[in-house]
Amino acid sequence: MEPKQQTDVHLKAMLNNPLKAPPAVPIPDWNSPSTSQVPMIKPNKSLMTVTIPGSAVGEPLTNVTLHNCVSTVDLQMTLDLQTINARTRNSEYNPSRFHGVVMRLREPRTTALIFRSGKIVCTGAKNEHDGLLASKKYARIIQKLGYNIKFCNFKIQNLVATCDLRFPIKLENLNMMHGQFSSYEPELFPALIYRMIKPRLVILVFVNGKLVFTGAKCREDIKEALNNIYPILRSFRKN
Amino acid sequence: MSSGRKCKNCGGSDIEVDPARGDAVCTACGSVLEDSIIVAEIQFEEGAHGTSSAIGQFVSSDSKGGATKFGASFHVGDSVESREITLKKAKHGISILCSQLKLNQHCTDTACSFFKMALSRNLTRGRRNTHVHAACVYLTCRIEGTAHLLIDISDVLQICCYELGRTYLRLSQALCINIPAVDPCLYILRFAAKLQFGSKTQQVANTALRLVQRMKRDSIHTGRRPSGLCGAALLMAARLHEFNRSPTDIIKIVKVHESTLRRRLIEFGDTPSSALTLEEFMTVDLEEEQDPPSFKVARKKDKERLQKLFEEEADNFTNLQKQIEQQLENKKTFEPIKRSKSNKEDEETNIFIRESTLGAIQEIMEEATDEPEEPVVEVGPDISSLGLPNSLDDTSNAYVPAPEIDLDMNFDDVDDAEIDAYIMSEHECENKKVLWHKRNEAYLAEQKLKAQKLQKEREEGKPDKKKKKTAKKKAIGPLNSAGEAIEKILQEKKVSTKINYDVLKSLNVVPAQPEVVAVSEEDSVKTSESIKRRRLSSMSNYREQGPEKGVKRKPKSSAGLPVFDDNSNKNAIKDPSKESIKIQKKDDLVGMSDEEEEYYDEEPAGEETTNEIGVLQMLRQHRENEEDADEYNYGYFEDTDY
Repeated sequence: MEPKQQTDVHLKAMLNNPLKAPPAVPIPDWNSPSTSQVPMIKPNKSLMTVTIPGSAVGEPLTNVTLHNCVSTVDLQMTLDLQTINARTRNSEYNPSRFHGVVMRLREPRTTALIFRSGKIVCTGAKNEHDGLLASKKYARIIQKLGYNIKFCNFKIQNLVATCDLRFPIKLENLNMMHGQFSSYEPELFPALIYRMIKPRLVILVFVNGKLVFTGAKCREDIKEALNNIYPILRSFRKN
Repeated sequence: MSSGRKCKNCGGSDIEVDPARGDAVCTACGSVLEDSIIVAEIQFEEGAHGTSSAIGQFVSSDSKGGATKFGASFHVGDSVESREITLKKAKHGISILCSQLKLNQHCTDTACSFFKMALSRNLTRGRRNTHVHAACVYLTCRIEGTAHLLIDISDVLQICCYELGRTYLRLSQALCINIPAVDPCLYILRFAAKLQFGSKTQQVANTALRLVQRMKRDSIHTGRRPSGLCGAALLMAARLHEFNRSPTDIIKIVKVHESTLRRRLIEFGDTPSSALTLEEFMTVDLEEEQDPPSFKVARKKDKERLQKLFEEEADNFTNLQKQIEQQLENKKTFEPIKRSKSNKEDEETNIFIRESTLGAIQEIMEEATDEPEEPVVEVGPDISSLGLPNSLDDTSNAYVPAPEIDLDMNFDDVDDAEIDAYIMSEHECENKKVLWHKRNEAYLAEQKLKAQKLQKEREEGKPDKKKKKTAKKKAIGPLNSAGEAIEKILQEKKVSTKINYDVLKSLNVVPAQPEVVAVSEEDSVKTSESIKRRRLSSMSNYREQGPEKGVKRKPKSSAGLPVFDDNSNKNAIKDPSKESIKIQKKDDLVGMSDEEEEYYDEEPAGEETTNEIGVLQMLRQHRENEEDADEYNYGYFEDTDY
């Protein structure tokens, strides 16, 4: 609970004075969001020597990459979707199919679903900060259309992250031992699905050592989950 | 209440029979003479013509009891419960499916019993009958190891394979049936039989089997469908035995796409085994095991990326190198060698520094080689991974509502120019509006019609359609600890009339004297009686087995019984008030939740034989880790349906 509270504090601080906030993240202790894909792309000698492919020495924590962030916010006022759709060029509204306006931003590249109740779901952001910034932009657009809105209950709903452990894993044996938490059906999906209870999230474990985390509410969850699962996966290493 | 009987233990004749609880107890010595009495005597009635018959009716072991006669008599006379009807229907459906899949009677029975288990745990609710039936049959297939794929079943029933897969996974998870991963070897014979190899079928199948086994060793099979693997192996085997089977022939039978088949072939081609001739392959077993293909691909990609990086950086590096070299050159020319002979001290310090550095490096290197070897044992889940609370008062699992973050309307960091770019001018807006109305004409008309209809109805004075009020259960909000939750449940519904609730309340007020157990017993004669009795029996159990076995047994004995072995006694003394509260509460909890008890009865016996680490083992593991931890609380375990 402690780290979570810490995040909240961080988040709060960040949200209250967004100007002062450092370039991004509540807790930038691991994986700065600016690193794209793989850390080795950085032209840094020291980094390059560490991440020679094939050598499983690289710290697994360093190459966790966030890929998606879903956040919600409540504007606490009823919106007229038809006018919102008509007055913005970045939106689509097809009420016979979906009861919300779909609006897109170019920077940060995100998509939002705007509902009549004034609730906004923002998806596609690369990290929490981008999610917040995008939500603010959507709110600002709606504000500019003449609505007297509030910006309430901003919440990160889901984080998706990937990680490469760089060693193959024996999925069958893992499934045998951890049957309570895992399911592995190659007929349905190639990865082993590990449902961790604490922190509550889902990890997809692929045979080539790549992991996908999903369902996390904050970075600490992902970090904790990786810390939990790493020794287990290490023990199921192939060869 | 005495009926002329005598106690077997003390000979006392004061025997109390409680028909509600269904037991007979000697009030003198407290021993239970009889329990779960239903009806002790048989009565007969005389019919109109002098015939006599026994009063009562047949109750099957799976019937839930209740209104069997009165309710049923309103129906067409058959006195069957709806559950029995469901079971009958399921049996019918399953046996049809089994006969279509050419499964034997044994499998049908197994599938039926799986269905029964699913039904009793309410897993059939919200799912289609066909799906549940199919999932039960597939579960059986997997356990029996028959050569049936999920897709065969969905093919027969014409249902979605993935939907079926979901149902199957949910069932196997909920019923705690751990099923080993599919073995592609199972399907070889089946597919081979369909390929018309004639008398050579067995030979081809054997070769294919060997191929699949080799593929397994080279871990091509993980994360791949077994049918694709079998297809590739059969194609190779057929060609090796001089049959001209084309990929198209194989595809028709194994039902995978050609590209998948080709990919499997290429993957096998990348392993060293593929270089062997047929004879060599049949005789030689290569020791070396390959990494999975996807792993190889990932590493290759890494390498390429690095290569690219090096190429990009190459120019930079050469430039840097040149500069450095130039600098060095300059230095050399500027500073001619001037050796100070007198500086012996300097030299010595240099030597010293060098030696000490080397020593340190040596040490570090040794340490690095001493790195603990990787654990050979495959790590199972431990008790903490279950995420259970440690005690009734543990609040670490409690739902913590996120603190509300109210943001002042401060959009300083939002670039207004950018925002304005998204907002259109009046003219554009008009255009878009017109276009939108044109496109959504049909929808708007429909909406209009609906509104009109509603208006009309209202004018005619028809009452508004009343929405069906779904009797929602009053949701118990997230509570902080199990203890609170139990309290709440107890408040909401008085689960048993046999419990003195006031005593429970008084237990929460922590009394000072250590012997709360005794006090509470005096207070609540009703409750404590049953506890005492159970405690007696459990005590005798544990004493016999000694402390170690006692722990082992704990998860098996019905959860939360007051167990008084030596360890827990210590705990009880340490924190008597707390413990006693827990005992009472747990006892109540267990006594009340019939459902959970059912669950334990129906747990399949086969489960223990599987490889999965049981709760038991985890307990033991955990105990090794935390000897002094309060193991008392883990009696709790089984209450939680994970």
